[in-house]
Amino acid sequence: MAGLIDRVIRAGERLADEVEVFLVEGRSVTAQLQREKVDRAEESRSWGMGIRVIQKGRIGVSSTGDPAAWERCLQAAVDSARLATPQEWKGLPGPGPAAGEAPCCDPAIEPSPDGARGILSRMLEGVAGHPDAHVTSGSATLSRATLTLANSHGLERTMERTECGCSLEAICGQSTGSEFDQSPFLDIDPRRVGDQAGFLAVHSSGGREIADGQYSVILSPVAFAQLLGYIVVPALSGRNVHAGRSRLASLLSTRCMDPALDLRDDPFARGMGATAWDAEGVPARRLDFVREGTLLAFAYDLKTAYRYGKETTASAVRGGFGGAPSIGIHNLVLDGKRSDITRERGLYVHDVVGAHTANPMSGDFSVECQNPVWMEDGALREPVRKAMIAGNLFDTLAELGGIGKDSRIVGNAILPSVRLKQVQVIGE
Amino acid sequence: MPLPGIRYCDIRRVRAASTHIDIDNGVVESAGTSFSDSSVIRVLGPRGWGVVALDHFDPASAKDRHAVLERGLALARITEREVDLAPAPSGIRPVPPLREDPRTVSLEEKTGLLSAIAAAARVEGVTSTRAQYTERAEEVSFSDSSGHEAGYGVVRSGFSVLAVASRNGVVQMGRESRHTLTGLNLRHQEALGREAGERAVALLSAPVPRGGRMRAVLDPELAGVFAHEAVGHASEGDLVLEGSSVLQGKMGERIGAETLTIVDDPTLPEFGFEPVDAEGVLPARTEIISRGRVAAYLHTRETLAALGNGVPGHARAMEGDAPIVRMSNTFIENGDASYDEILEECGEGILLIGSRGGQVDPGRGVFQFNAEYGYRLEKGSIAGMVRDVSLSGEILATLHDIVLVGNNRAMHQGFCGKGGQSVPVSDGAPHILLDRAVVGGGGAD
Repeated sequence: MAGLIDRVIRAGERLADEVEVFLVEGRSVTAQLQREKVDRAEESRSWGMGIRVIQKGRIGVSSTGDPAAWERCLQAAVDSARLATPQEWKGLPGPGPAAGEAPCCDPAIEPSPDGARGILSRMLEGVAGHPDAHVTSGSATLSRATLTLANSHGLERTMERTECGCSLEAICGQSTGSEFDQSPFLDIDPRRVGDQAGFLAVHSSGGREIADGQYSVILSPVAFAQLLGYIVVPALSGRNVHAGRSRLASLLSTRCMDPALDLRDDPFARGMGATAWDAEGVPARRLDFVREGTLLAFAYDLKTAYRYGKETTASAVRGGFGGAPSIGIHNLVLDGKRSDITRERGLYVHDVVGAHTANPMSGDFSVECQNPVWMEDGALREPVRKAMIAGNLFDTLAELGGIGKDSRIVGNAILPSVRLKQVQVIGE
Repeated sequence: MPLPGIRYCDIRRVRAASTHIDIDNGVVESAGTSFSDSSVIRVLGPRGWGVVALDHFDPASAKDRHAVLERGLALARITEREVDLAPAPSGIRPVPPLREDPRTVSLEEKTGLLSAIAAAARVEGVTSTRAQYTERAEEVSFSDSSGHEAGYGVVRSGFSVLAVASRNGVVQMGRESRHTLTGLNLRHQEALGREAGERAVALLSAPVPRGGRMRAVLDPELAGVFAHEAVGHASEGDLVLEGSSVLQGKMGERIGAETLTIVDDPTLPEFGFEPVDAEGVLPARTEIISRGRVAAYLHTRETLAALGNGVPGHARAMEGDAPIVRMSNTFIENGDASYDEILEECGEGILLIGSRGGQVDPGRGVFQFNAEYGYRLEKGSIAGMVRDVSLSGEILATLHDIVLVGNNRAMHQGFCGKGGQSVPVSDGAPHILLDRAVVGGGGAD
């Protein structure tokens, strides 16, 4: 594919000041369970190329899934630049060392039907310990992709990226349990996923009502990731900060979160977003957003940094090969002073339904809980039938009830459980 | 048959040109067109499915075709469950004509029109606006080993406008969006931009209500989301088959009042329209709940064969993915109550308007969704505005709690996610009155 990239860059240089090509070639295999049986195996071979051109501060993008159509794609990128509002622009990065190695590829991951089938079998073994739980669905995926980024300044970077993941859903009567695991390495624990899905379904059945009121709530990393992702992550984007769409905009250098809390982007952590360079080729770096409760930084890509006179924080990400790079977080890590948050009685929430309906501007959320259960002395106790929790995430983060000692990968985040001090709970 | 061991196979190819415009605070952030070409080949082996998804696959090449079928068969060999396909009517309906083909309007002109909508949103008090236009022209072709072939083109387009207002550290937003498959809808929409702006400002002084159980009136948009989330998903044949739907085993049972009929209709010329489904089946209007009784599940050929009780033609797929059971245009049929009667009957309660989306766990039978805003109702009259109100409930209990169904059905467009696939849908309803709704809110008043 090096020949194609060169051709695009050479042709693009005649049409614009700068050209950037991003190429993804990937292969993944997924096997799916319907109830306890495999009913479908799927292999996907993807190829995609994104082209970005910059002409006098005007940025244009296009993409294609067909290598033979590169000229049309390049022309569309040039046409796209004509329409964009010109902005201050100081150039794409040139060649230079990336920032070392990131843990994003496991040579042991090879997408194959038998590999996926093996993961499903281990999940089924895990759930078999809960005979009252019935599997409804499940899936296992193994994938491998090669990402190449090159530009007309001679920068060229390539990365191999692997992923494996599995999930299982179980039901006991009308009580559901769902669990998953994912990693860039072949270190997921399918047996534990099966066991946990079965346990949650069985343990949550026969839940009792909860009276409306204020309670201490323990959010699992899964539940916490949902709320953080929809509310806090957008507020850390430099673009939203400067566009007047972030509640954190005016709080830089203030202690606006709990002093026990650190929040950072760590591209070198063992997570799904691990990378040695960002989507524009800038060497990746650790970015401390919050240290001991004090807000220290926002995330920038080149475009936003040039526009507002800031430095890029190597925070450009891409959703796929299409579209322009945009500001994001590689691995969102929440850390800080850890403690045992499972002792005092509180309502433990495994997951939430409807986090995407939260208000990202104000931070207000009201979501339905999945598998709400009382927790005390380190153990899950009586299940609760139905509970909705409501509050404001920014206010809640200003004074946490504690950060747990656990940690797990949830999408592009690596998070512990957290205890929220007082949250409005609405029962039945 | 193409290869020994293959009971059935089909190929669905989607070629698309997608245009987007993004105007952020008056700045054209990006505007342009991208292209894709994806094929999905399904092979039904001795037991289950082997599926191969490829970018830029040329089905005309016999050598490539043979290789891909072999690959599909190899994948199918690890399956265990015996999948059968029910016979279903094949055929295709004409795609509704475009009133103004968006592809014939220049990107410059579309950018200008979108700009005007964004500018209209910048009323006093608004600190940020963002407007986005999306257009997707698809050419779809389908053929299967039974000799069925279908092909069509469709152009979907639409826009959204977001206004953000802030005052003394309080930040609120107003959002409007409209999508269509019947042609460009960007002209003369400034009023919607203004509405988004004015709502963002009004919400700055609206309190969050205290959550609890109360009577609630849902506007057509939110009641449509209710029909989609609470009933539509639970009627999807694949979920019923897995055992993760509360509607499993309820065929023919009364689960709501006589006035309640809920329909999924892919033949309606709305945003979720499908001329032919993703496995070549001619879609048909399907009454999920008919006069209060469970009447049908939504099916693919596979789920129909396994379950019965319902209508095929509901297989849909995102480009590059294999079809699964999906909704299209889902709505609550009109009843006979007027809007004024509904407010009066509600008395003390809450009126919930617009939707920020929703989600459901169909196995547990619990749903959640969020209104964009609302009003307290006092003695049947509209009182103060409230913000950030959500509604959750148990599907079966809530259906019995629908006490009045209005007569002013309207449809709204959106995208629905399931199994990692997003497809265009529309939802709708008239106003409805819910008794004992669980309304969420962290407020103190």
